[in-house]
Amino acid sequence: MTALAHPQECLQCGLCVTVCPVEMVGGHAIVTFMADPTATDFSVWLCTSCWRCQESCPGGIDIYGLMMAWRRQESDTAPEGYRVAFEHILAHGQAMAVSQEELDQMRAAWGLEPVRLPPPDVARRLLTPSPAVR
Amino acid sequence: MSTLAFYPGCLVLQRMPEYELATRAVLSTLGIELETVQEAVCCGSPVAESFTADWIYLSAYNLALIERMGHDTVVTICGGCTNSLARTARALQDPAVLSEANRRLAQFGLTVAGRVTPKHLVRLLTERLDDLRARIVRPLSLQVAVTTPCQALRPDDVMGFGDDPLEPQSIRRLVRLTGAEVLDYPGENECCGATLYLADSTLSLKAGRRKLEAVQEADALLLGCGNCQLLLRRFQRFIIRDRPSLRKRALFLPQLLGLALGLPEESLGLRKGVWLR
Ligand code: SF4
Ligand code: SF4
Repeated sequence: MTALAHPQECLQCGLCVTVCPVEMVGGHAIVTFMADPTATDFSVWLCTSCWRCQESCPGGIDIYGLMMAWRRQESDTAPEGYRVAFEHILAHGQAMAVSQEELDQMRAAWGLEPVRLPPPDVARRLLTPSPAVR
Repeated sequence: MSTLAFYPGCLVLQRMPEYELATRAVLSTLGIELETVQEAVCCGSPVAESFTADWIYLSAYNLALIERMGHDTVVTICGGCTNSLARTARALQDPAVLSEANRRLAQFGLTVAGRVTPKHLVRLLTERLDDLRARIVRPLSLQVAVTTPCQALRPDDVMGFGDDPLEPQSIRRLVRLTGAEVLDYPGENECCGATLYLADSTLSLKAGRRKLEAVQEADALLLGCGNCQLLLRRFQRFIIRDRPSLRKRALFLPQLLGLALGLPEESLGLRKGVWLR
């Protein structure tokens, strides 16, 4: 990962590392870098979005915000799972593709009222900046 | 009878109809009907936010649909959806964000004011604790291990509803109403690791294994999030491939509550005779 400016407010106390579930199974998420700005053996894509680090951080650092900004900067390094899921959202407005017919059948079998899926291009349209600010 | 909007999110909508069924059954005993948001878009969590800072306009669209339905509360049953909707509602308090959202929504004939409060089922039920207690007719003798829907509780400054964001008690309180016991286990308040699956399936299964090993004493896992169900129940067969004895049953929170409320198993999406003897 390319370097990110280390936030000055970080006390390097390491608390974020001790509460991180990814660290507990031997992976290294962004918190590794927070506790040690020279660390290189981590990936910004490993975080599970549990927000425990941020909730525990005595420096009040927006760890999650930093991590997300970092991901966007390095989107070409995104793991396949992330890329495929994002493509699905853009193509179907849903994280997993399902047809209206399949959904109708499944819900009917469970005795649930039908639910209409969104127009397929809805996410793409919402994620396009409005002309006024382009 | 009161009616609230309901946003199942795509994971629950497409893969976990039993969770929706049980949620509806339990809420209807409290006099609450759920009206599903039609044509809702995926909240994007945590994927869209990883690629674009504009991710909030997905949830802004959903909030606009809910406003058009005339509701000011939307019930959610997945951690990720709750988090996205609530953080978006907060972001819409910035007038610049609000007007950009409305510019983007205009093409759909929608507007958003930002007046909707997203409430995870745990929060909604916690607000009706006494009401629920009064309706328990079938006390359960069962011990469950709670897995917390982390994203429905954190960040506390946005999601907060009076629970401790690091050692939450609300689900435990709801479980105890039913007579069931809550197992204390190491790592109870840690994320299950489901989202990690998108980036590294091996590590994710390892996190799931850690959870499963820690809850062996319990009769069942108790879930309040689609992501937890996905990893800990649906993918359980991959987690325990080399040690099938780790197998653990799972219940969604409203399924457990529904049993104690005396609701028929079928109405909770449960097979007959498995949980009640
Ligand atoms: S908990 Fe906060 S202050 Fe401590 S190392 Fe992590 S980011 Fe820095
Ligand atoms: S939010 Fe991510 S980095 Fe922080 S503790 Fe959770 S998994 Fe670790």
